[in-house]
Amino acid sequence: MKTIQSRLKRFFEDFYLVFTLIFLYAPIAVMMVLSFNSSKSRSQWGGFTFEWYRHMFESAAIMDALYNTLLIAFLSALIATVLGTVAAIGVNGMKKLPQTLFMGLNNIPMLNSDIVTGISLMLMFIAFGISLGFKTILLAHITFNVPYVMLSVLPKLKQTSRYAYEAAMDLGAGPVQAFFKVVFPDILPGVISGFLMAFTMSLDDFIITHFTRGAGINTLSTLIYSEVRRGIKPSMYALSTVIFTTVLALLLITNFAPAKAPKEDRREGRQTSFGTAFRRTAMIGAAFLVCIGVGYTSFRHFASTHSDELFVYNWGEYIDESVIAQFEEETGIHVTYDLFDTNEEMYPVIEAGAIQYDAVCPSDYMIQRMAENELLAELNYDNIPNAANIGEEYFTRSEEFDPGNLYAVPYCWGTVGILYNSRRLEELGISPPTGWADLWDPRYRGEILMQDSVRDAFMVALKRLGYSMNSTDEAELREARDLLLAQKPLVQAYVVDQVRDKMLNGEAAVGVIYSGELLYLQEEAEALGLDYELTYVIPTEGTNIWIDSWVIPYNARNKENAEKWINFLCRPDIAKKNFEYITYATPNAAAFALLAPAYRENTQVFPDVSSLVNSEVYRYLGTEADDLYGALWKEIKAQ
Amino acid sequence: MNKKKTSLLALPYGLWMAGFIAIPLFMVFCYGLTDRSGTFTLANVLAIATPEHRKALVLSLLLSAVSTFLCLLIAFPLALILRGRRIGRGSFILFVFILPMWMNFLLRTMAWQTLLEKNGVINALLGILGLPALSIINTPAAIVLGMVYNFLPFMVLPVYNTLAKIDDNVINAARDLGAGPFQTLIRILLPLSVPGIISGITMVFIPALTTFVISNLLGGSKILLIGNVIEQEFTRGSNWNLGAGLSMVLMIFILISMTFVAKYDKNGEGTAL
Amino acid sequence: MHPSLIDLVHISKSFDGELVLDDLNLSVRENSFVTLLGPSGCGKTTTLRIIGGFERPDAGSVIFNGENITDMPPNRRQLNTVFQKYALFSHMNIAENIAFGLKIKGKSKDYIQDKIQYALKLVNLSGFENRSVDSLSGGQQQRIAIARAIVNEPKLLLLDEPLGALDLKLRQDMQYELIRLKNELGITFIYVTHDQEEALTMSDTIVVMNQGYIQQMGTPEQIYNEPENAFVADFIGESNIVDGTMLHDELVEIFGAKFACVDKGFGVNKPVDVVIRPEDIDLVKPSEGTLTGIVTHLIFKGVHYEMEVTTPNGYEWLVHSTDMFPVGQEVGIHVDPFDIQIMNKPESEDEEAVGVNE
Repeated sequence: MKTIQSRLKRFFEDFYLVFTLIFLYAPIAVMMVLSFNSSKSRSQWGGFTFEWYRHMFESAAIMDALYNTLLIAFLSALIATVLGTVAAIGVNGMKKLPQTLFMGLNNIPMLNSDIVTGISLMLMFIAFGISLGFKTILLAHITFNVPYVMLSVLPKLKQTSRYAYEAAMDLGAGPVQAFFKVVFPDILPGVISGFLMAFTMSLDDFIITHFTRGAGINTLSTLIYSEVRRGIKPSMYALSTVIFTTVLALLLITNFAPAKAPKEDRREGRQTSFGTAFRRTAMIGAAFLVCIGVGYTSFRHFASTHSDELFVYNWGEYIDESVIAQFEEETGIHVTYDLFDTNEEMYPVIEAGAIQYDAVCPSDYMIQRMAENELLAELNYDNIPNAANIGEEYFTRSEEFDPGNLYAVPYCWGTVGILYNSRRLEELGISPPTGWADLWDPRYRGEILMQDSVRDAFMVALKRLGYSMNSTDEAELREARDLLLAQKPLVQAYVVDQVRDKMLNGEAAVGVIYSGELLYLQEEAEALGLDYELTYVIPTEGTNIWIDSWVIPYNARNKENAEKWINFLCRPDIAKKNFEYITYATPNAAAFALLAPAYRENTQVFPDVSSLVNSEVYRYLGTEADDLYGALWKEIKAQ
Repeated sequence: MNKKKTSLLALPYGLWMAGFIAIPLFMVFCYGLTDRSGTFTLANVLAIATPEHRKALVLSLLLSAVSTFLCLLIAFPLALILRGRRIGRGSFILFVFILPMWMNFLLRTMAWQTLLEKNGVINALLGILGLPALSIINTPAAIVLGMVYNFLPFMVLPVYNTLAKIDDNVINAARDLGAGPFQTLIRILLPLSVPGIISGITMVFIPALTTFVISNLLGGSKILLIGNVIEQEFTRGSNWNLGAGLSMVLMIFILISMTFVAKYDKNGEGTAL
Repeated sequence: MHPSLIDLVHISKSFDGELVLDDLNLSVRENSFVTLLGPSGCGKTTTLRIIGGFERPDAGSVIFNGENITDMPPNRRQLNTVFQKYALFSHMNIAENIAFGLKIKGKSKDYIQDKIQYALKLVNLSGFENRSVDSLSGGQQQRIAIARAIVNEPKLLLLDEPLGALDLKLRQDMQYELIRLKNELGITFIYVTHDQEEALTMSDTIVVMNQGYIQQMGTPEQIYNEPENAFVADFIGESNIVDGTMLHDELVEIFGAKFACVDKGFGVNKPVDVVIRPEDIDLVKPSEGTLTGIVTHLIFKGVHYEMEVTTPNGYEWLVHSTDMFPVGQEVGIHVDPFDIQIMNKPESEDEEAVGVNE
């Protein structure tokens, strides 16, 4: 017999719980659905597929990141647990004042924001010449894990009766023996939950890892973050789905399979239930992940033994992975392949020399900067006979940033232009854009996607004003800033590679985009059967011609292998295969000749370089100009 | 065990803290108080006063305050309901609230983009229901939503912990002495859960204040928060000294929150799981 | 005869399908001190919580001063509770704790001040206004809990094992304190405890409960001297409960020996339970005893000796006596007729729970 009131209350409570659950799980459900979506787009359903699950297990990058994540989580949690438990015992024996000081210092990583912790550790590592990599992530993770261990061990220690310890001594146990026989079993639950908390925290961390990782090492978080910029591959969703469902299944089994636990006092039971629930979740998850980790470690152990090596540092998604395998097979050289997302991220890595890469693929202006700072080794073209396959005009263009073509062999090139959605323009009643100036048409309010990078954004404005995109003139730059500020209300978002997905999904009418994305876009649009066309124009005011080229750092240990690598990539069949995968225009004339006519005739992808009269290549402008660009860009962003 | 000898056990971690907490913070000060050539300057810290930094900081403070408040608003009733449910079902409900934390938070946030986009899932659903479309992606509202979503468990956890510790009879006593449900909430439950609330506030406010990921993913990079400024100074390689100087400003807020925690959560009960 | 202040009428309550109270009827007179006594899980606390309004009965009603308050929330009931483990508000000081109920009712500041002073004086804790709850000992916290309840001038005070957390000496002091308070305030107390000594000391009515049923209700003397069933006899004090046969009125046979008693109406040759308190057994010379046995155990307990006397059939009688008989000595057992309590045997386990009071 219940009153209407209490039923109503129950109903509202249930409703609230369900609502919160939907809030919590909606994104997860979306992720799971996307893992079965045959289209790469986040918002277009292309049909059901298990393809991404297969891809996930085959992808070395994902498996490596998973392995690193698990190993770091396990090691850091283990070390932190030992360090923290011992320290907790010490702290427990301290006098009031030193204890307060000690705990104050201990609390800093927990209360401090991750970004400050990450930065402070990074600065320290760099100041002491510790190269960023696996060990720095591990050290950082241990540092932020110990406080969590202390947090769960200390209360247990305080509860432990001193008399039990003394009784053990009285009965003939030595101090150490007494500790392990009497005190340790008492605090064990705290130690375990400390370990699991540390494991979870480490697993979940992104920001601190982001700052303390070196190039070439990824955890799942950093891998995902780098993919965010160019669109997350659905294999990531697949991996998450696998982890999530496994943890969920294990939970359900352990939760419902055994007979009901003995009835606890209601109040007492609830006090511990959150902790218990957390511990159990964490324990199961950890066990599962450690198993995978151990399995994968042994797999890796057997899979990797080699003497001839090559360290490659390239943009993400910038090679057909089968090309690497083919190179390894043909030459017997083992390739360690690392990724970067921006030129600016890559530069300090090479500059610090912490990791000695043999072949790197930066962009034009960055090559100039590296050359000026003597970070590059001159190429021996005798070892790169296939360089002859590269069209002469591209070497000529390269002279703008690499006079004499001493350092760089072009790999991909392209233009920056405007992509528009034909149907959306019709709806808005605007004729197709022809130049940058059209991006200031007020009718585009909320319909423009701009590039989220200083140079690209300023290029658009500077070109519209008729200035050089390499301008360092403060007045010109201010003028460009004002122009960009005026444009900001029209802009829907500043994005990097996401412009691709968003345009595909019809989110915006126009977007500034790299020409390399076109083929992918057009093929995907066709596959999805979209009812609108995505068309690319090179603005009349002129645009940026960019060339990404292979270079060899000054400190390369395997220079000859690197030259073999570059030579291999210049082989027409390889260049063709690569082009067909990454769809960025190839400067390789011999490979171009092998392409299907449909590709060769696509002037959006392969414009006539000589016709691009007003266009330029980015040059490195120096620190001062960089700072000026940066400051002005910040003013635009902060508005 | 002799007390002095026992305290020596804290030595290894003491050294660790010196090496990995104290020195790194000192390094932030070193960078923050010098310019590129290494001469002393306050310019990097004072740079917070420039309009773009000030705007970013004010916006960050505003958005994280709003998010923290919303988190509390959602978490408190939630924790109350969870407290009222019996253990058998209750523990499962708790699992359910912890489980999402095992998904990568970047992916979860990304998924919100899919949900919120102009042609996203939510608008598709609204379209079916014949309701007008929402356009909150790339706005501060989307960032707040992302913050609330990501940091909600950090509010629910400590608040629930303190609420669960309140003896049922304390609530009964209040009712017995004439307090209605609302008065009981205001006069008893709220004041008694202050340690958890404070701890929850710092656990939400600080990460929300300094995030750069959420604003990047859900703000369309149109909205610059102080975390974005600092992150870009470091990772886009422009000016580490400036980044360190701005981080020092952030530390002031962290100090304030530490003071609060020390004052209201003496036993660390709010943070304990 | 005082009118009844509170009536529980046909109250039933179950938790998770488990019946905790089954058709319970109880009437409490104004200005009485009623104790609900029983082992844990007997339903005594649930009964109190139903009166307090913290649980709703599945069936039946609660009548307070002639008004049906079954559905009334606790905050509107004119009664107050002193909780187990005190349930003081740790975020308030002592004065604020005591003032809580009065502030809710919107009493004037002066009135509240007066009441705080009065209540603190009543519980002998004057001057404690600004102390924090944590700084008080268990006994002091208990007094504050009482003070907090009584300033509201309830007609009925419910006390849920209020002395359970105190040590023995303090418990005894508080028992006297409670009796004094009850007499000074002239309000009705319903007191829940599992401690029979507490119940016997303080109450004017004891309600013995087990498994959701009232086993016996009566004055402490009635409960102690005339337990109505084996449960009550066993639960209240120490007893020798032995099988006997009622030969006819006023004569019972125990272990083959015939004892004179005062009970009538059980029929002829009827098997019964016989209860004899340890202090009611007189140890005499073997030749003078109704039964004979040998002393097998002897402990000095201060006021008396505790002995075990084993009769030839192997039964060990518990005996309290101021006379000492050494271990190994043969003694006679004698019991005065009015010290023998005869009870019907329960016919089933169920009936054992229900008892004989139907």
